[in-house]
Amino acid sequence: MSKTISSLKAVCAAVLLLAFALPASAQLSFKPTAQAVHEDQLLNALKEGDKITGRVSIPDAMASSLIQPAGREWRDFQRHKLPIIGGVVLLGTLALLAIFFAVRGRIPLEHGFSGVKLLRFASYERFIHWLTATCFIILGLSGLNISFGRALILPLFGAEAFASMTAWGKLAHNYLAFPFMFGVAVMFLVWIKDNFPNRLDWRWIREGGGLLRNGKHPPATRFNTGQKGMFWIVVVFGALMSVSGWFLLFPYLPANVTTLQFWTIIHAVIAMLFIAAIFGHIYIGTIGMEGAFDAMGTGEVDLNWAKEHHSIWAEEQQGHAPSPAGAPRAMPAE
Amino acid sequence: MKSFIAALLFAVIAAVAVAMLLNTVQRPSSVAFTTSGARVGDPGHNLTGPV
Repeated sequence: MSKTISSLKAVCAAVLLLAFALPASAQLSFKPTAQAVHEDQLLNALKEGDKITGRVSIPDAMASSLIQPAGREWRDFQRHKLPIIGGVVLLGTLALLAIFFAVRGRIPLEHGFSGVKLLRFASYERFIHWLTATCFIILGLSGLNISFGRALILPLFGAEAFASMTAWGKLAHNYLAFPFMFGVAVMFLVWIKDNFPNRLDWRWIREGGGLLRNGKHPPATRFNTGQKGMFWIVVVFGALMSVSGWFLLFPYLPANVTTLQFWTIIHAVIAMLFIAAIFGHIYIGTIGMEGAFDAMGTGEVDLNWAKEHHSIWAEEQQGHAPSPAGAPRAMPAE
Repeated sequence: MKSFIAALLFAVIAAVAVAMLLNTVQRPSSVAFTTSGARVGDPGHNLTGPV
């Protein structure tokens, strides 16, 4: 009998358990606690532009942003897409220049050196060029280290050397930015008068600037179309790098984190394009063209070089000789 | 060559001058963002905090 009662109790207990367990299991099909703390689901639930903010009492209002999904896209771009884009742009430019050099070779001075020199850039112009150029090289190398250093340099030199190098590079980057910005501004003021487009530019473009084959040199004033293009690249990219860099130097100036992220992307993308363009500038100013480096090296160019590449400017200079000290003038070689 | 050397010197001097100026004008974050209601710790040279 007692066994029968025990069995009955067990059956009742099982029925009761089942009766209460079913609604409970139905409720547990949705697990708010387990799902709410799942970070990915929480972030995915936030739409573009949404963010979770809090309240802070410190003056840095941007610290009140707790979760901002757009930050993941920014991080993904900085860590993964940018190095790929930058690598393609920079290595692609170097490859194109190497192919051009292999096919075209060094553009020769067709009539040889005459021995007569023309002052092409005064000392203050060379000063401002080299000021901007040297700052650009340090800024470029230390900036590229941010994008590629972890993958390329860290394995070679080890963590400690890489950390020291990066820390010094960051300091140099932060403070050499100021003489660089100064240099870009002064170059703009000094050379803008010679860099407005004119009717000769279209002809220069149609004839490929005389770069593609010997014996053909479209006429040009002080700066040909290619040099004008480089001038405007330096001015526009330099301005964009300066504005975006200013926001990175002083990150509390932008209104919010999204704006700051926008400027970091502008800074990084323009930097890659800027460096690629300067590769071309360095190429044509050094190994790409005979006699070109002298313009910024000594400030003087050979008369035949000037006649071939800047025929109108050369005629103007010869017509004005002798000119007052400091101004462009023709002079015999020493 | 003189222009190049002068440019290098100017760049270094300008960079150092700007660094000194900014260090004079700006305050460390631990000072600037500390209020009567919140004290911000000095992160030292390592921005992630003491090792």
